[in-house]
Amino acid sequence: MSFPQLCSVIKGLVRLGRRGFCLHSLGPVAPAALLAGLALAACHNENISVYRIPKENNQVSMENGSGNLAPPPPTNPASWTKPDGWSEKPLSEMRLGSFEVAGANGESADVSVTAFPGDAGGLDSNINRWREQVHQPALETEQLAQTWKEETVDGAPTIVVDLQSPDGAEKAGAILGAVLRTADRTWFVKMSGPPDLLKAQKDNFLHFVRSFHFPSTEHSQEPPPSQVKSTNDR
Amino acid sequence: MTGSSVARFFKPVASLRLTIICLACAMFLVFVGTLDQVQIGVYEAQLRYFKSFFLYFNLPGSNFRIPYFPGGYTLGGVLLINLIAAHVSRFKLTWKKAGILILHSGLILLLIGQIVTSLFEEESQIQLDQGQTKNYSESPYFDELAIVDQSKPDSDEVISVPAGRLVKGQTISLPVAGLQLQVDESFENAALINPNQLPSPTYPHLRLGPMAVAVAIPKTYKQDERNQPAAAVTLLKEGQSVGSWALASGFPQPVQFKVGADPYQIVLRPKRYYRPFSITLEDFRHDRYAGTEIAKNFSSKVRLVDPSAHENREALIYMNHPLWYSDLILYQAGFGNNDKTTVLQVMKNPSRLVPYIACGMMALGLLIQFGMHLVSFVRKRVIA
Repeated sequence: MSFPQLCSVIKGLVRLGRRGFCLHSLGPVAPAALLAGLALAACHNENISVYRIPKENNQVSMENGSGNLAPPPPTNPASWTKPDGWSEKPLSEMRLGSFEVAGANGESADVSVTAFPGDAGGLDSNINRWREQVHQPALETEQLAQTWKEETVDGAPTIVVDLQSPDGAEKAGAILGAVLRTADRTWFVKMSGPPDLLKAQKDNFLHFVRSFHFPSTEHSQEPPPSQVKSTNDR
Repeated sequence: MTGSSVARFFKPVASLRLTIICLACAMFLVFVGTLDQVQIGVYEAQLRYFKSFFLYFNLPGSNFRIPYFPGGYTLGGVLLINLIAAHVSRFKLTWKKAGILILHSGLILLLIGQIVTSLFEEESQIQLDQGQTKNYSESPYFDELAIVDQSKPDSDEVISVPAGRLVKGQTISLPVAGLQLQVDESFENAALINPNQLPSPTYPHLRLGPMAVAVAIPKTYKQDERNQPAAAVTLLKEGQSVGSWALASGFPQPVQFKVGADPYQIVLRPKRYYRPFSITLEDFRHDRYAGTEIAKNFSSKVRLVDPSAHENREALIYMNHPLWYSDLILYQAGFGNNDKTTVLQVMKNPSRLVPYIACGMMALGLLIQFGMHLVSFVRKRVIA
């Protein structure tokens, strides 16, 4: 806007001001603009937006929202040491670690690492689900407890199961599984494949499970962390 | 349009009767909204009663809504127009009326400030573990479906679709060439459970992975809970399916996929507001009075780094001492994880000073008006 134009606008406003209010000149525009503003206010949270952000490396992180129902996120996901001879696979749905273990005669086993908030549906139901996958019957808690070995990994209570399909099963299969319980989530490490290969890899599997390290979480011997609280709560 | 014709135009809306009706309706709205707040929580009550044009009655068994009472926006808008119209058509600009004019200008400013707040206010939270750094805050109420294009070496492009737009059966055109999002299923609030916990295999659910499914649960209105939506979506490129995913905000794990050769991520998560600066939690303190569990002090020592402003400094956030940075205010709001996690409330409200100015004007207007009456009354008594 040039200086003469600006002067003429100011003169116009002064003239309108002398006559009455500047609002006189707005006429019915003012209510219309007001209603349009209110309408915008009512729906401005429903727009699709596109924006750019600096690169962030969150491919395997367990970042969680600020949702009060969700457990607070650890600073880092658990770390572990991969045994020699295991090759990493691309991460897929839900997996925080994924490996392939090659055996003789082109056989291979699959290793997955997953983690879920809380107790992830309960220990019994998860172990029974693994049992069903190798055609073993589901068991009650007392009987199940006799099938697993308990140990502690980096302070986290851990159980390890070695499951094999029964003799004469149509397709022989086996599962080596470990369930590690940290304060806010349950970690599942599972190796599945042919029984012979899993037998040969059992030591590697146990080494892998024992290499787990949870840098920022406290383990379930301590009271579980409460949900995020307001500082106004008494 | 001349001044007198505008005044004529405004006269019907300048009616004092309209003012009284609006104020009565507003009182009723506040009363009913406050009562309903017990059932639906403060936030939902604000949305339904005050940040709405009408209160609606839902016809049972249908999605048809019938408006039955004006909402806060309608009443506030009509009152504002009514007040402005009254000035235009009735009031005269004289010294005698200066007090009323300032008082009403304060009221107009207050109402306009509320509109600006509704339009531009942003409320979010940063939840940080000790040592953790974030360059974004998250909405405590809203979720988003984020599709992240990671093909560029130095930055990612985020397409953010509000979770409220995820309505079953809808196809949403994304503002990026050729991409469309088809919503196959949508739950406003969902619980994550083990597949074994499903009442029956055919019970409606979304399979998130081998060990988790999402099932719809009723919306929550509790103050200390949030709704965590879940949805099944299909991404289409030029009408061809790129992939289908079941996603849940309760487990915001990004899923990797490719469009052609370009790597992408998709995730349903609390809505994020990215900032040009990052905040690191260096230390959180929860001090108690000696020998008791009564809280004495909550404080977060944070490091603020803003490369664009050459800023790199420590700040201590505690009660009544928020961190003011850029156009944001960061308050200490919560804590958790055995005092190792802090929650900072992030407020952005460009009109936060308006209510103070408006109330100051209204007080000044009242003072002038009553002062003038007092002076003339005293003068009359002196003369008598």
